[in-house]
Amino acid sequence: MAEPVAARPFLGIFGLILLAIAALFAIDMLLARSERTESAAEAARVFQQGTALMQQSRNGEAIEKFQDAIAIERGNRDYRRSLAQAQFAAGKAADAESTLTELLQQDSTDGPASLIMGRALARQGRFAEAISYFHRAIYGQWTTDAAGNRLRTRFELIDLLAGSDSREELLAELLPVEERAPGDLQTRVRIGRLFLRAGAPARAADEFRGALQDAPDSADARSGLGEAEFAQGNYRAAQRDFAAALRLEHGDATARERLDLCNELLALDPTLRGLGPVERSHRSLALLQLTRDETSQCAGPNPSPELKELLDRAAGELKARVSAAREDEVYETNLTLSEQLWKSRRSQCRSPVVSQSPLALVQAKLAE
Amino acid sequence: MRDNEFSSLHLTELMDSHPHRPMRAWLGRRLEKLRQSESRLTLVLSLVIGVVVGLAVVAFILLTGRLGARMYPAGGAGWRRILVPALGSLGTGYLLWRWFPFARGSGIPQTKFAIFVNDGNIQFRTVLGKFFCCSASLASGIALGREGPSVHVGAGLASVIARNLGLSPKQVKALVPAGCAAALAAAFNTPIAAVLFSLEEIMGDMHAAVLGSVVLSAATSWMVLHLILGDDPLFHVASYRLVHPAELGVYAVLGVVGGLGSVAFVKLLLGLRARFMRLPAWTVWFQPLAGGLTVGLIGYFVPEVMGVGYNQVEKILNGDIVLKLVVLFAVVKIVATAVCYASGNAGGIFGPSLFIGAMMGAAVGGAAHAIFPAWTAGPGAYALVGMGTAFAGIVRTPLTSVIMIFEITRDYTIIVPLMISNLIAFFISQKLQKQPIYEALARQEGIHLPAHPGSGSEELQVRAAMHPAPAMLAPDAELGAVLLRTADSTGIFDAWPVGDENGLLGMIRSRDVDDAVAAGESHRRVDEFLAGNSEAPTHVHSDQTLSLALERMGASGLNVIPVVSRANVRQLIGVIALADILHAYGVLKAFSSREQSQPIAG
Repeated sequence: MAEPVAARPFLGIFGLILLAIAALFAIDMLLARSERTESAAEAARVFQQGTALMQQSRNGEAIEKFQDAIAIERGNRDYRRSLAQAQFAAGKAADAESTLTELLQQDSTDGPASLIMGRALARQGRFAEAISYFHRAIYGQWTTDAAGNRLRTRFELIDLLAGSDSREELLAELLPVEERAPGDLQTRVRIGRLFLRAGAPARAADEFRGALQDAPDSADARSGLGEAEFAQGNYRAAQRDFAAALRLEHGDATARERLDLCNELLALDPTLRGLGPVERSHRSLALLQLTRDETSQCAGPNPSPELKELLDRAAGELKARVSAAREDEVYETNLTLSEQLWKSRRSQCRSPVVSQSPLALVQAKLAE
Repeated sequence: MRDNEFSSLHLTELMDSHPHRPMRAWLGRRLEKLRQSESRLTLVLSLVIGVVVGLAVVAFILLTGRLGARMYPAGGAGWRRILVPALGSLGTGYLLWRWFPFARGSGIPQTKFAIFVNDGNIQFRTVLGKFFCCSASLASGIALGREGPSVHVGAGLASVIARNLGLSPKQVKALVPAGCAAALAAAFNTPIAAVLFSLEEIMGDMHAAVLGSVVLSAATSWMVLHLILGDDPLFHVASYRLVHPAELGVYAVLGVVGGLGSVAFVKLLLGLRARFMRLPAWTVWFQPLAGGLTVGLIGYFVPEVMGVGYNQVEKILNGDIVLKLVVLFAVVKIVATAVCYASGNAGGIFGPSLFIGAMMGAAVGGAAHAIFPAWTAGPGAYALVGMGTAFAGIVRTPLTSVIMIFEITRDYTIIVPLMISNLIAFFISQKLQKQPIYEALARQEGIHLPAHPGSGSEELQVRAAMHPAPAMLAPDAELGAVLLRTADSTGIFDAWPVGDENGLLGMIRSRDVDDAVAAGESHRRVDEFLAGNSEAPTHVHSDQTLSLALERMGASGLNVIPVVSRANVRQLIGVIALADILHAYGVLKAFSSREQSQPIAG
C-alpha cells in the first residue's frame, strides 16, 4: 500500500515544478525588463557624453564613450553610427569601415551608415567602392529630412568626383541634381561651377544665366557666366561678363586675371570676325612670331632637322615684306606655318604648354 | 515491476473515484505511465530540467547585473570600489559559513563530488546559498565568475527535482549532468560547449550514457535564454582571419605563454587555498574578507579587475588595447582571482580564465603585430585565441574550449590557430601541474575525485575484490598486544590499518611488529611504526581499478592497502590484499590448482 501514497506526490511535485517555472519566468521577465530600461538609460547617458566630446573634437575620448554605450546596448544602431563617425573623424577610417560593415550587413539600406562608409572608403583612396556607398546612401533610408540628406549626400559625392577628375560620372550626378536642387542663388552658382568642372560649359552658362535672371547683381554668377563663355570659346562674351563682374565686385582678383587674359587673347586672335585684312595680317605675323619664339626657346640650340626647317621658314616669313595684294595669302601661310610649328613644339618639346596662355588658347581655336 | 503495476492500478482507481476531477485523473494516469517508463521519464525530465535551470540561470545573471548596477551607480565615488567588495565578501562569507557551507567556491568540484561520491545528492539549501551568495558576491565586485556557480545551481536543481520525484540514485546521478549542461548553455550562451563540458569535465567520459539527456536539457535551456534575453553572443567580435601561414608560429608562442600563465594561476590559487585552509577554524567566516579587500584595493587603482570583466574583454577582443595595460590587467586579475577564490568567496574561475586569457593573448598579439605588422592579425584575434588557450590550460578541457570560443564569437576562421594554441597550453599545463585544478581543489578539501571516472570496467574495480574494513589498531596500542590480536590473520594480511577517532592514520606492517617483539620491544607504540607518510597514507578508492591497487602496493611495499571514501580519505571502508586481486583476476585459483596437482619439490 505504500506505492499509491508515494505516487500522489509525483503529481504534486510536477505541479510544484510548473508553479516554479511560472514564478521563475515572471521573475526573469521582470528582471529583464528592468535591465533593458536601466541599460537603455545608462547607454543613452554615456552616448550623450560621447556626443558632447565629439562636438569638442575630442574624438578619441568620444570613441571610448560610444564603445561603452554599445557594450551596454548592443542593438542600438545610432550608437554604432556615431562610433563610426567618431572613428572617421579621428582619422581611423579602417576602424570606421569595420564598424560600419557589421551595421550594413544587418541593414544595407541604412542611408547615414552608407554615407559614413563612403567617406571612410574615399579617405582610404578606394574611390570606386566609396562611390558605390554614396549611391547606397542616396537611395537608402533616412529617418529625418530624407530629401535634404539625399541631396547633401549627392553634393558630397559630386565634390568627391570633382576632386578626382571623373568628368563623365560628375556630369551624370549633376544632371539629376539640377532638377531637384533648391533654386537659390548659391546652389545654382555651385551647380554652374560644377558643370564647368564636368566639362559642360553650355549647361553651366544656362545655370548662370538662370541665376542672373533672379539676381542680376551677383558678381559670382556673372563671373561664372564669364567662365562658361570662355570655356566655350566665346571670348568677347567672356570679356564682357568678367568686366561686369569686376564692376560688381572690384576686388575679385580671379575675374581681373581672367579679364586680362581675355583682353590679351582678343588682341592676338587673327581669326576674330570684323577684322580688316591689314589687321588680320599683322595679327597673323604676331602669332607666328610668338609661336616661333616659344618653339625656339623650348627646342633649345639643337632642334631636329624638321623643326629647324620650320623655324627657318618662319624666320623667312617674318622678315619678308608683304605687299597689300598678297595680305590674304600671307595671312593663310602664317596661320598654317604657325599651326605646324605649334604641332612640332608639342611633339618635340618636353616642357608642357601653359594651357591658359593667350597663345595656347588661340592655337587651340585654330586647331578646331 | 509487480509493485509498479499494483501502484499504477491503485492510483488509477483512486483518481477515477473523484468524478469532479476527470482532468486530474487523466493527468494522474499520464504521469503514472510516465513514471513507469524510465527512458520516457528521463526525456521529459531533461526538458523540465532544461527549462527550470535555464530560467534560474537567467535570473541569476540578471539579478547579479541589477545588484551590481545598484552597488556601483554611474559616476559613483572611488571609495565604493574598496568598501563594497569588502562588505560583500564579509556578508556572504558569514552566510556561507553559517548557513551554506557547501556553496563556497566555484561549484564544479562540488558537483563532481555529488555525482561520483554522493549519489547525485545536492541539497536545495546549497542551491539557494549558491544562487544568492554568489549573486551578491559577484555584484559586489569580487573577481570571480558566474559560470561555475551556475553549473552548481543547475546540477543542484536537477538533483532536487529528481530526488523529490522519488527517482533512484542511479537516475538522479544521470540527470545531474543534464542540469550542468543546461546551466552552462544559459550562462555562456554556448549549448554545444555546455554538452561537451558536461561530458569532458563533469563526467570525464565523452561516451557517457547521459548524452541524450544532456543535449536535450542544454538545448532547452538555450532556448529559454533566447526567449528572455534574445540572440546575443557573449562577446561581439570583429571578424578575424589568419593573415599569413607563418602566423601559426605566433599562435604557438601564445600557446606556450597561455600554458605557463595557466600553470602560474593554478599554482598560486592552490598554494593560497592551502594556506587559508591551515588557518584556525574560527577564522573561516571572515577569510573571504581577504579576497574582498584585495580586489578592492587593486580595483581602486585598476577598476577593470573587478567583477567578471566581460565588458573589458569585449573591448580587448575588438582590438582596443594598450600593451602595457593588458599585461597589467592579466597580472592583477590572476592575483585578485586567486586570492578571492582561495579565501573562500563564492564564485567560479571560468570567467576569470577567459579574462586572463584575453589579456595574455592581447599582449602576445600586440607585441607580434608591432614587430610583424604585415604578417599578423591585430591583437584582438590573439585575445580571442588567448581566451580558449587559458581555458584549456586552467580548466583542462581542450575540446570544450575550442567549441566554446567558436560559439561565443561565432567566428569559424580562427579555429585552426585556436586548436594549435589550446593543445600547446593544455600539454604544458598537464606537464607542469599534474593534477587538474578541480581535482586538486577537491583533494584539498579531503575529497578524492576519480581522475577518469568513465574508464574501467565494473568487474575490475576495487569494490569487487575488497574486504570489509577490519577494526583499526589504536595508534597508542603496544606492539605486544597488537601481535596477539593480529596473529590469526598474518597469513592473509601483512599490514594492518591504524586509526583514531578522526579516522585512518596509516598502515603498520606485521613484519615490523614481529621484528620489534622479537627484539624485546613489545612495549613500543604502534604509531612509531606507521608505514609511509601518515599525512597521506597509501590508499585506493572502491571505484578505482585493481591494476591501480597493484601499482600502489608495488610502490608502498605493502601487500594490503586501505580502501577509503572519496568524500573523506580518513574514512576506512575496507582493505584490499594482493591475494584478493590475484583471486579477482583468476590467477591465484589457477596457481593453487596447479600447485595441488604438481606439488613443488622441497
